[in-house]
Amino acid sequence: MSERPIVPEMPLRRRRTLWGDAWRRLIASPTARLGMAIVVLFVLGTVLAHFLWPYDPKTDLDYSLKLKPPTLRPTPDVPSIHLFGTDKLGRDIFRRVVHGGWNSLRVGVISVGISLAVGGLLGLLAGFYESVPLTVGERIGLMAGIGLVLGSIPAWIAGQAVQAVLFAALGAVSASVAASWPNGRRWLVMLGAGLLIGAVPSLFVSPYVALVCGLLGLSIGAVLTFPLGGPLFSNIVMRLMDVILAFPSILLAIAIVAFLGPGLDRAMIAIGFVGIPTYARLMRATVLSLVQRDYVLAAQAVGSGHTRILFRHILPNTLSPIIVQSTLGLGSAIIWAGALGFLGLGAIPPEPEWGAMLGDSYRFLTSGAWWAVTFPGIAIMLSVLGFNLLGDGLRDALDPRLTR
Amino acid sequence: MRYLIRRLLSLIPTILGVTIVVFLLLRLIPGDPAVAMLGEHASQDSVQRIREQLGLNRPLFLDREALKGGDFRGFVDSQYLRFLGRLVRGDLGASIHRRIPIAQELSQRFPATVELALAAMAVAVALGIPIGIISAARRNTWVDSVSMVGALIGVSMPIFWLGLMEIMLFAVILNWFPIGGRLDHAIEVRRITGLLLIDTLVTGQWAAFWDAAKHLAMPVLALATIPLAIIARMTRASMLEVLQEDYIRTARAKGLHQRLVLFRHALKNALLPVVTVVGLQTGNLLAGAILTETIFAWPGIGKWVYDAIIGRDYPVVQGGTLLIALVFVLVNLLVDLSYAALDPRIRYE
Repeated sequence: MSERPIVPEMPLRRRRTLWGDAWRRLIASPTARLGMAIVVLFVLGTVLAHFLWPYDPKTDLDYSLKLKPPTLRPTPDVPSIHLFGTDKLGRDIFRRVVHGGWNSLRVGVISVGISLAVGGLLGLLAGFYESVPLTVGERIGLMAGIGLVLGSIPAWIAGQAVQAVLFAALGAVSASVAASWPNGRRWLVMLGAGLLIGAVPSLFVSPYVALVCGLLGLSIGAVLTFPLGGPLFSNIVMRLMDVILAFPSILLAIAIVAFLGPGLDRAMIAIGFVGIPTYARLMRATVLSLVQRDYVLAAQAVGSGHTRILFRHILPNTLSPIIVQSTLGLGSAIIWAGALGFLGLGAIPPEPEWGAMLGDSYRFLTSGAWWAVTFPGIAIMLSVLGFNLLGDGLRDALDPRLTR
Repeated sequence: MRYLIRRLLSLIPTILGVTIVVFLLLRLIPGDPAVAMLGEHASQDSVQRIREQLGLNRPLFLDREALKGGDFRGFVDSQYLRFLGRLVRGDLGASIHRRIPIAQELSQRFPATVELALAAMAVAVALGIPIGIISAARRNTWVDSVSMVGALIGVSMPIFWLGLMEIMLFAVILNWFPIGGRLDHAIEVRRITGLLLIDTLVTGQWAAFWDAAKHLAMPVLALATIPLAIIARMTRASMLEVLQEDYIRTARAKGLHQRLVLFRHALKNALLPVVTVVGLQTGNLLAGAILTETIFAWPGIGKWVYDAIIGRDYPVVQGGTLLIALVFVLVNLLVDLSYAALDPRIRYE
């Protein structure tokens, strides 16, 4: 009789994690795999080329090879191989497409980084403080901030920085001490204090200035009388976002670069700026849905500070929609960078950039130089398609409830 | 009605914000805007003239020096308030190179852009919604896969490149369509609405109508691609959601014909989000016109703004940006209102 274990060996169930599950769902989808393959190829190719295949656009010039069609083997006419042909300055288009990818990647990552950092933070704070009451310290900070911002107007008119500080102090007083006063008394004190802070220092400048600053001080005092809270902050932020959203985003990006002057760095700033509201809105909506969850309530119940709740409990849970949006955002940033480059507002020649390459060459289309226009465009389209496929796949993988 | 008023009031801060942004654009120019417009070698006189014309000698928002002397008129006489005051009177300033009032030129070019955008949107809606419905109805079949992959490629397509490819195929190789412009130079059309397709139809100029349509075809195809793809995706997603509702199951259980269920019960409810997308995309069409009009030499606002950017005619860029943004705000207002009309729940929120 052989010895048999008393407890039969059971195969252990593989440990499953949130990210592990998401990964399995992601690679299960053929379109997501295709997207991932394109993205990996694009990123690897451009990064490797940038570091291992030196290219100096300033010296790349050979008029004898001007606008040659693609060749696969050397001919007497064209001694070198040009897979994608050459452009109007005899430059190898394949090489410029590969190196142009580095610029597209840079624009994408940096501009999405700008939108994400600014928009994400604004949306996080707006969503959180819209639904969670402020602590005393935060209320004082908010009111002092409002006092400082509004007070800077009379301070500027009178040329007296001290006024802004005084108005900030008034805001802090209103939030801490005056909060407990009866309404009538608070109104009186705040209006009087505002009038004095505005008018008295301004008297040293000119009676007219004192008049205007006094009136301004009166209205600032009136504003500071209200016990303002988090919803106000959220409201201000979202109204500002509405103003940016009132412009079609491509238009605003074009306009900003048109005035700033061309350049890849400026294109990044413009594209990043224009994208801020998208992330702010997404973040706010996500946070609003998370604040009501039990684990956030539990954290509040055990007395965790707001910073801890925000960054330990809420922020990690906003990651899935943010990852999806950023992936899709990389794609659109590449298109927009191409559009700016095409209009002559992005990369400055001779810097290789896909859109600028199209803008350089499209005049030669009528003379039959199809290759100079075809390949940079395919590069834009493929890389954007890759990010879009991957983004769609990530959306399905990270939020299985949405999968249809 | 209360909803309408509230919605209109909420527009005021947004529009003020838009004017401030457009006004401040000029401040983004590194250095002196007047010098930037005229170039380094401009004479002192002409720089001074431009400074006068644009009011650059005044302070940006308020003049605190004037206030000290008790000059209240001078206090508010600033660049921004002058800019705003002129806007209210419909005056967008003048082009610095050609000395034409910008508002006049814009109103002449606006119909061309509107015609292009409307035609593109019509194509996008007419094709996008049926494609979305068919994909949703035949979910996970090859029809669905093909159209959704097509839509994804459409979303990823840089329209300026698509335009160039069209020129190569249809104008250079096949020679079907003219390479650019809006109408053959030899053809005269009496302007009524400014939309050439309508004007030629009304007056019965068939040859001119045919010519205008041929000029319109390629830019419309380029401009329609992205909204077409987005509308198709949106319609499909929205239809799939609605098709899971109880009332669809009820309708099916009653033994209604599939077509009736799809169009009468599902589509009506599924169209709401699509309306929003159509509105948003109309604004993007107007902005995307800068690229399309540049490629196809279409004499609309976009081409004019592009030429102004290249020629550093900054007041024109400001005027064009402002006009497009205001139209965009207006379109979004109409979308919100139609949304409220379609879905009574929104009015009572």
